[in-house]
Amino acid sequence: MTRNVIGLPPGFRDLLFDEAESRRKVENSFAEVFTAAQYREIMPSGVEMLDVYTKGHQGALEKAFRFLDRDDNLLALRADFTPAVARIVAAGFRGTHDPLRIWYSGPVFRKADRLRGQFHEFNQVGAELIGVQTIDGDAELLDVALTGLVASGVNDACVHVSHAGIFRGIVRSLRLVGPALDKVKTEIDRKDMRGLADRLTELDNASGFKEQFQTLAGCIGGMEVLDRAERVLDNPESRKGIAELRMLASQLPDLGGRLVFDLTEIDEMEYYTGLMCTFFSPSHSGELGHGGRYDSLLKEFGADFPAIGFSLSVDRIAECL
Amino acid sequence: MPVTKPIMIALPKGRVAEKALELIQKAGIQMPPGDGESRKLVTTDVSGRYSFVSLKPIDIPVYVESGAIDAGIAGTDVLREQDAKVYEPVDLRIGRCRIAVAAPEGEPLPTNRMLRIATKYPRTAERHFKSRHSHVHIVKLDGSVEIAPLLGLADAIVDLVETGRTLKENGMVVVEEIAQVSSKLIVNRTSMKMKSADINNLISILDKVVYEDR
Repeated sequence: MTRNVIGLPPGFRDLLFDEAESRRKVENSFAEVFTAAQYREIMPSGVEMLDVYTKGHQGALEKAFRFLDRDDNLLALRADFTPAVARIVAAGFRGTHDPLRIWYSGPVFRKADRLRGQFHEFNQVGAELIGVQTIDGDAELLDVALTGLVASGVNDACVHVSHAGIFRGIVRSLRLVGPALDKVKTEIDRKDMRGLADRLTELDNASGFKEQFQTLAGCIGGMEVLDRAERVLDNPESRKGIAELRMLASQLPDLGGRLVFDLTEIDEMEYYTGLMCTFFSPSHSGELGHGGRYDSLLKEFGADFPAIGFSLSVDRIAECL
Repeated sequence: MPVTKPIMIALPKGRVAEKALELIQKAGIQMPPGDGESRKLVTTDVSGRYSFVSLKPIDIPVYVESGAIDAGIAGTDVLREQDAKVYEPVDLRIGRCRIAVAAPEGEPLPTNRMLRIATKYPRTAERHFKSRHSHVHIVKLDGSVEIAPLLGLADAIVDLVETGRTLKENGMVVVEEIAQVSSKLIVNRTSMKMKSADINNLISILDKVVYEDR
């Protein structure tokens, strides 16, 4: 006799005992580190208006689980923490001038390609520093993130950093827009340097920029890559980005080789306005998380504050241990 | 020196297998002697730096994207169909062909109803017809796509065209080319960062083999 047993929907999972314990430990380690650094916890609603995800980074929009409430409002399960933070700050702290230090942890839901082994629900932990525009803020946030990773037991964690202004400066001086810009971005994102050279050849006046792109493609390493990039980049916006990365390094002397300059990556979504960072560990085959400065996002929610934040995958951190 | 694990590389079985292996050998990567006949799944080269595993081409992007395998050789037909989030640093210029719309010769496509398209590449087909502002009905098949119009399952097909012989034998012609196809070296996004020395070496030796005579 077969009985109908109600199971879990495909693409979801339960975390039992050991797995639950390892996630909880990671969250607790971060909670301690955040508290010590004067960050305060928020627990945003698990449901948002879908429209929240139309602002800023739109990666979450198409992947959000959506549904209607009884007034036919289009809602979504939390698909990203940052828009929630922006919404909260814009609504409640418009008049404040003191920096806000916020942290959060919890599940995020995105429709994943489950037939490629991904889950729809994953746990994130993250922090946002709002109202600080200086490099001190960037340095503080990176320091908090890496301290949290080490406290969780990922001693070999490292962070790859770049600056959104570096690529943006080249794009502006090339006056690159529309489909031509998309093609260039695609080749850079694929790391296909010959493909990129072909795309640049198709453009007018772009041949002089080949050297700049080719140099950046090899710029991954210590301070020396900033020198190398500076020698070929002549536009003020790119140079300002490099100068900011130099200042960042000078404020984080203890990180040593764990701070890697990686000018090979670009921000395809054009979401970040300054620092961009990605966290890795040699013990995991995926990135642990990422973040950066997004000084224009809060404006879209009605409050003009500079902000920087990061989020990390609790699941991947636990998998490193 | 710490003992490092070899970089794991996926090679495609089937159509491109021989060309891919030839490239690897030309690049100076030496396989252990007598390995040709062996049924071992994983082979490590003489230097111990690279390990190889042969997989179905359609499975290679998911292995590399997930990080289960560091790098591989995959056709742009499969990469675009799966929208794989991997690096594609070298166009290897092997397995070159076209992905195209083909239909029975001498029979005009119906214009009074929605076209039915049979294909192994549903996303690619959908994207193509969408860009032409035409809405089509797609039937996903796993093989012998060219038989579908003969049996009345579809009006036309979207498939790889290498020499055009298979099409001809089935009384079909290319109606429109969608894209050129070629095999690329693909690399997992984290492996590129965490195993950069070995990966960059692989990129540069393959790039040299493919492009130095041009």
